[in-house]
Amino acid sequence: QGTQVKDVIIKPDAPSTLLLDKHADYIAAYGNKKDEYEYTLSEYLRMSGIYWGLTVMDLMGQLPRMNRQEIIDFIKACQHECGGFSASIGHDPHLLYTLSAVQILCLYDNVDAIDVDKVVEYVKGLQQEDGSFAGDKWGEIDTRFSFCAVATLALLGKMDMINVDKAVEFVLSCMNFDGGFGCRPGSESHAGQIYCCTGFLSLTGQLHQVNADLLGWWLCERQLPSGGLNGRPEKLPDVCYSWWVLASLKIIGRIHWIDKAKLRTFILACQDEETGGFADRPGDMVDPFHTLFGVAGLSLLGDEQIKPVNPVLCMPEDVLQRISLQPDLLN
Amino acid sequence: MCVTSSGTLKMAESKEEVDVLVMRVVKDITNAFKRNPNIDEIGVIPCPGARYNRSPIVLVENKLGVESWCVKFLLPYVHNKLLLYRQRKHWLDRETLVDITCTLLLLNPDFTTAWNVRKELLQCGVLNLEKDLYLGKLALTKFPKSPETWIHRRWVLQQILHQFSAVARSRKQHHQGEVEQADAERSQQLSDYLARTLHQEMKVCSDAACRYPSNYNAWSHRIWVLQHMAKGNAKVFHDELSSMRLWVSMHVSDHSGFHYRQFLFKELITELSQTPACTTTSSSKHQSNTVPSSSSHHHNHGQANGELSGAEAAGGEERWLRFTKILQLFHQEMELCSDLIQSFPGHETLWSHRRHIFYLWHHLRREHQQHCSSNGSVESVHFNNSDPCLPEVGAQSCAGQGVSVNGQKHINEPMEVDAASLPDPHDSKRLKRGIMLPAPPALLSEHNFVSSILDTCANPEQRRFAMAYKKWLDTVIGQQP
Repeated sequence: QGTQVKDVIIKPDAPSTLLLDKHADYIAAYGNKKDEYEYTLSEYLRMSGIYWGLTVMDLMGQLPRMNRQEIIDFIKACQHECGGFSASIGHDPHLLYTLSAVQILCLYDNVDAIDVDKVVEYVKGLQQEDGSFAGDKWGEIDTRFSFCAVATLALLGKMDMINVDKAVEFVLSCMNFDGGFGCRPGSESHAGQIYCCTGFLSLTGQLHQVNADLLGWWLCERQLPSGGLNGRPEKLPDVCYSWWVLASLKIIGRIHWIDKAKLRTFILACQDEETGGFADRPGDMVDPFHTLFGVAGLSLLGDEQIKPVNPVLCMPEDVLQRISLQPDLLN
Repeated sequence: MCVTSSGTLKMAESKEEVDVLVMRVVKDITNAFKRNPNIDEIGVIPCPGARYNRSPIVLVENKLGVESWCVKFLLPYVHNKLLLYRQRKHWLDRETLVDITCTLLLLNPDFTTAWNVRKELLQCGVLNLEKDLYLGKLALTKFPKSPETWIHRRWVLQQILHQFSAVARSRKQHHQGEVEQADAERSQQLSDYLARTLHQEMKVCSDAACRYPSNYNAWSHRIWVLQHMAKGNAKVFHDELSSMRLWVSMHVSDHSGFHYRQFLFKELITELSQTPACTTTSSSKHQSNTVPSSSSHHHNHGQANGELSGAEAAGGEERWLRFTKILQLFHQEMELCSDLIQSFPGHETLWSHRRHIFYLWHHLRREHQQHCSSNGSVESVHFNNSDPCLPEVGAQSCAGQGVSVNGQKHINEPMEVDAASLPDPHDSKRLKRGIMLPAPPALLSEHNFVSSILDTCANPEQRRFAMAYKKWLDTVIGQQP
């Protein structure tokens, strides 16, 4: 009685070299399909979509190919009276898209284009008594939003505007026995949430509160025989988890614990040789989200064709140097 | 199904024509819900083109289907209409808003702003809370992960809880005659309603969990629901733990389902271990109806157990019962876990479950030890210096594995239970009466379990997980005091 291991098999003819030009063409063309049905379907996360596209272009040294002015005008149109940003025009503001908007403006070195004080007010207003952050005025709580809040404020140099101690207390209350973190106290550890929480603790200077060996262990166990990483036990490997797991390992100083060469092989196999872009797994449909995390993952693995990426903010290191932001990492 | 000219939709040239036709489809959906309020599933019917003069909305028994060809007209249309309304460029009456958000969310349930429009409609009383829970439930039949649908559900449930606590507050304020009577009835109704809602939420979570394996959003929602709607209600937690037993046994690779079980287990253990266990002595009069054991209990050490006063005895009794219950829960859980690991080799989820349960036990023991040493309990000193020939709790176990595992040879094994300050399991009176305690987990029995797997199983995955568990025991558990 055997069981099939949940993993993929990488075919011998899978891509094994990095097709940077193809990826740049893919992203540059993506924004032109505005009328397509798929584009409508994903409009609710447009601001993050733009951040993914622009960041991967910047990492590949291709940012000038994107329409800077159009994008900045769009961002300005998405800022609401309350100070927060929506995913697109006519949508409601949310912390997720507020962070994406601020990240994009940092890439363009143009934070002054918006009302920064109002952004800070918005973020501050979402902190709850227990230190947690609501995603928007309707009150959903999630450690992801704690990350969005401190990342936004760190990029704006306004971290002191919130109760950091309380915020830390809440995130630590979401730590589990395996060293990982979930979305709320008592919730299952999840690589995406772990990325948010380790990133949060890095930005707040509290990484010493992490049990790095225990968490590093759990994160390393995400690597499957194919070399790919999954986000939780018995899930399939996925390029986006290559980023979340890898970035978390980098933050807690344990990146050398996984098999980097095998992971690189897996990520490269997720490229589409014809269309450009990365998919979640070899052979699937590509999208900008997985394209960013594929390229960013390769950067963390040390690929020199790509600019160095910051593991905490998933932005090019040179951008963060420009604003003098260097989040902590464990050794 | 009311007949529309949907067949002409594809051919419609002008924007006005499309408008009219699409709104008719939206109405068809609304009417389908009116005709059958028991629709329990939605889906898209693959269909390359329109069939002349037939609506693309198909209702078969309790299933609502939308023909695939029309989705690409329908979705952008309702999407843009709502956004124009949101930008105050186009006015929509409330009824239309209800209809188009419904269509929109059934097709694209992560469209946050559409849920927010419904929140506003709920706040001004145009919609009712149950209706939105129902809409979310339907959306989850097609999109069982949809984060925004789960988020909206939590918001709706919060509203219900607020109503409930508002009534509870007003009850406290006036407590006289008829008002009190009326309030009491209303309160009873509300708490019945709350219980029904809780039950329904569990069902919605189960359905979504079955539709998508390791559904993080469904299971973390379920945890949220218990934390907010069943706080301190041990019965609900017990019932959930019982009903999850079958579920996890049938979904041995569902890590989220197992995590939920771990959550329930931990809550119950925490509840049971809350009474201070080290402050009173355990030598109370134990009125147990446990059947005397036929197995040999030769560990009668004739400890001098002085008789206690009534109050102390009662406290000890309670503590003893709780302790037994804790041991029982751990024993049963480890047994379940062993059975599943042996029956379904190579599942990381099962090994991860084992880690979690063992860790909980280990943690509980440590906490008790710390509690006792900080209280300077004489008894804990007594236990820690106990005769090295004393048996372990496990030695009294009815479990077959207990005897060899916890035999005399290994009594000084630091991980074993009796060195801790849990209630004295060596009570001579109990032993005389032949009370059997279930075997708690122990480091040594875990190592033996791993060895037995490695000795007998050839499945490479199973061996890999067994080795990883062993390493985890050595490093994570072994290095802790």
